[in-house]
Amino acid sequence: MKLLRRFRSIPVSYRVPVLVALLMVVISAAISERVLNRLSRTQESFLNGLAETYLDGLSSAVVPAVLRADVWEVFDALDRSSASYKSLAPIETVVTGSDGRVLAASDPNRIATYSELSADYLNRYGPDVVTIDKTKLTGFAHRDLVYQGQPIGTIHATFDVSHLFAERREILVTLLVTNGVLAALFALGGFVLVRQMIGPMRVLEDHMRSAAHGAAEPISPREIPAGDSEVAGLFRGYNALVHAERERANFAMQLAEEEKLSSLGRLASGMAHEINNPLGGLFNALDTLKTHGETPGVRDTSISLIERGLAGIRDVVEAALATYRPERSRRSMTAADLDDISLLLKPELRRKRQRLDWSVAWNGARELPIRGGPVRQAVLNLLLNASAVTPEDGTVSLTAMSWEDRLHIEIGDQGSGMPADIAGILIDQDPGPAVRAGRGLGLWMVRRVVDDLGGRASIAAKSGGGTAVTLTIPFNREDVKAHAA
Amino acid sequence: MRNLGNPHRATDGVPITRRDLIAAAFSGAATLFAPVALRAEEESFKFGLTPVFLSNDLELLGHLRSYLGAKIGGQIELVTRRTYQEITALLVSGQIQSAWICGYPYVQFKADLDLVATPVWHGKPLYQSYLIASAGRKLDDWAGLKGDVHAFSDPDSNSGFLVTRALLAENRLLPGSFFARSFFTYGHRNVIRAVASGLAQSGSVDGYVYEVVRETEPDLVKQTRIVRKSEWLGFPPIASPKSVSNDRRVKALQQALISMKDDAEGRKVLALLRLDGFVATDPSLFDAIAAKVETVRQFG
Repeated sequence: MKLLRRFRSIPVSYRVPVLVALLMVVISAAISERVLNRLSRTQESFLNGLAETYLDGLSSAVVPAVLRADVWEVFDALDRSSASYKSLAPIETVVTGSDGRVLAASDPNRIATYSELSADYLNRYGPDVVTIDKTKLTGFAHRDLVYQGQPIGTIHATFDVSHLFAERREILVTLLVTNGVLAALFALGGFVLVRQMIGPMRVLEDHMRSAAHGAAEPISPREIPAGDSEVAGLFRGYNALVHAERERANFAMQLAEEEKLSSLGRLASGMAHEINNPLGGLFNALDTLKTHGETPGVRDTSISLIERGLAGIRDVVEAALATYRPERSRRSMTAADLDDISLLLKPELRRKRQRLDWSVAWNGARELPIRGGPVRQAVLNLLLNASAVTPEDGTVSLTAMSWEDRLHIEIGDQGSGMPADIAGILIDQDPGPAVRAGRGLGLWMVRRVVDDLGGRASIAAKSGGGTAVTLTIPFNREDVKAHAA
Repeated sequence: MRNLGNPHRATDGVPITRRDLIAAAFSGAATLFAPVALRAEEESFKFGLTPVFLSNDLELLGHLRSYLGAKIGGQIELVTRRTYQEITALLVSGQIQSAWICGYPYVQFKADLDLVATPVWHGKPLYQSYLIASAGRKLDDWAGLKGDVHAFSDPDSNSGFLVTRALLAENRLLPGSFFARSFFTYGHRNVIRAVASGLAQSGSVDGYVYEVVRETEPDLVKQTRIVRKSEWLGFPPIASPKSVSNDRRVKALQQALISMKDDAEGRKVLALLRLDGFVATDPSLFDAIAAKVETVRQFG
């Protein structure tokens, strides 16, 4: 199992050639076995045929001489036959008479005429025509000589069969070399083929990998193979996906922009209202100054009135500038940032006759090591949302508290509760689905701010009805990152 | 005829010339007269050859037939048989007109045979019989061959059987008891082969054949050694039955043999046989062999 797992971990471009080579080895082993088996049988039948022919020829030549026990004639026949049957490679042939004694041997020095053959010599024959001794590379055959139904003697023949084994060995080597070369060629072919087949997959993989890192690029038409309809279909499908994703992202950005503009519009109208309110009093004070400016009491009162009105306008303008001018958003957060939020929110609250519960427990430091701009933006969005869902005459709350190394801000409303999919934008691992549906874009901006600052958001239902959204933002996140870098 | 006998001329497409036509006319005439000539002559002259020597030497037979044909005239038929006995029987019964036989059958059938000529070897019409054994054997004399498997040449051969048999008889011995076993090879060269291969431990062989084989097949003879050489005995003669003594061809044969060394074709035959020539000899040349026959007969 472990071996199988390890094998599976090998890339497919190597695994397939290895499998092909293994398959070839198995096939070649099977074929070799068959070929050698067949060869061996063919050789044996060939050898048997040759031996039969040899024994037949020799029998007819020696029978008359054996009948007469003519030693010389038998020897002469053996001597002549050894030259005539070179393909059989006879090593030794012995002819015995009816008494079992040797009449003549092809090598009389080894086996003397009139001697008796040893029992080993007589018992070396198997059931086949030719019995092969593989260790000595020799074959044995014998033939009883019969004349008129009477046994008159026997021919004992020994052959050299080493050439058969040499031939088998040669064929085995040829098979091994041929199959080895074929296996290597097939493996190489498999490797090239698989590389070619998975080439498009690699292109797709590279594109998907870069898409995962945020840069989804369509596959260029040059890379789409013309002939391969399956790969081309896959690539085109991927390209369609990239295009659809891009359109969706553009659409989401557009919606976000619109949302931003709409909240900006609401703020701007609130601000205009805020500025417009003191403007009436300012003009009245200016008229009073024009008419009764000489009267010291009236003049002082009017100037004081104008001064307060202008100060109110200045505060509103400064708060708006602080919130929406990017260069100011990088500075550290101060208590004034929260004050600005309440100032910006005031017109909306007033319009809906809502009350703001404001509780800020600052730890005494002048500023916190958190970027102020994004926090203001997020808190303002959450408060505007809270105001939107809270009924008229209701209460919206903000509790801010810095504790140890983080800042907790809780925004409460008296709404009917946040739908789960919308809440998901803030708290889920993947805020995607609701955003892709084009909903809750304000919350998505909050989520991006919180993620960017390394914080997190949580949502809880309040005991007296309504919802509380809590942001927890750690200190020094940027600084720590900068140091780490 | 020349055209028909010459495939190159025929395929060359050369037109038949007047000379060709004349030659064809003459050979046609010769063919017409041939049966008349044959009828005038007796049947073909049959000359028997014992396996004294290289009976399988086709070159020798060709030259011999050609030489005898030229000298005797008419058809010459060379008759070969496996054993001495067969040739001797044919000769004595008059079925062949002449034969090269051994001294032993000659003395046996002396009454029925005439000597035609005797070969001359090393200047004399004499030869020896050898007892041979394998080259590696240490032997002091022929008595060391006791208990051997012995190869004889032929039961009707003087050198290949009678001499050894007579030697044993002189020593009150019989081949069957002196040798463990014995067999006949029906050829002197076969005796040398049998001893050289180890088939037999010793053999009785014609000294003349042994010496010639020493020249032609030195590797074969090297595997053997001579244990004993007999005294000089009459060389196997050419004999003819007394029944054909009037046949002019027998005389012609004798003349042809005796004058063989004076003829180019004859010298080729003599060179192949390693003989000096042939001489007419007296039957007494074979008395020594006759004595051996008598010795063997007396011992039994």
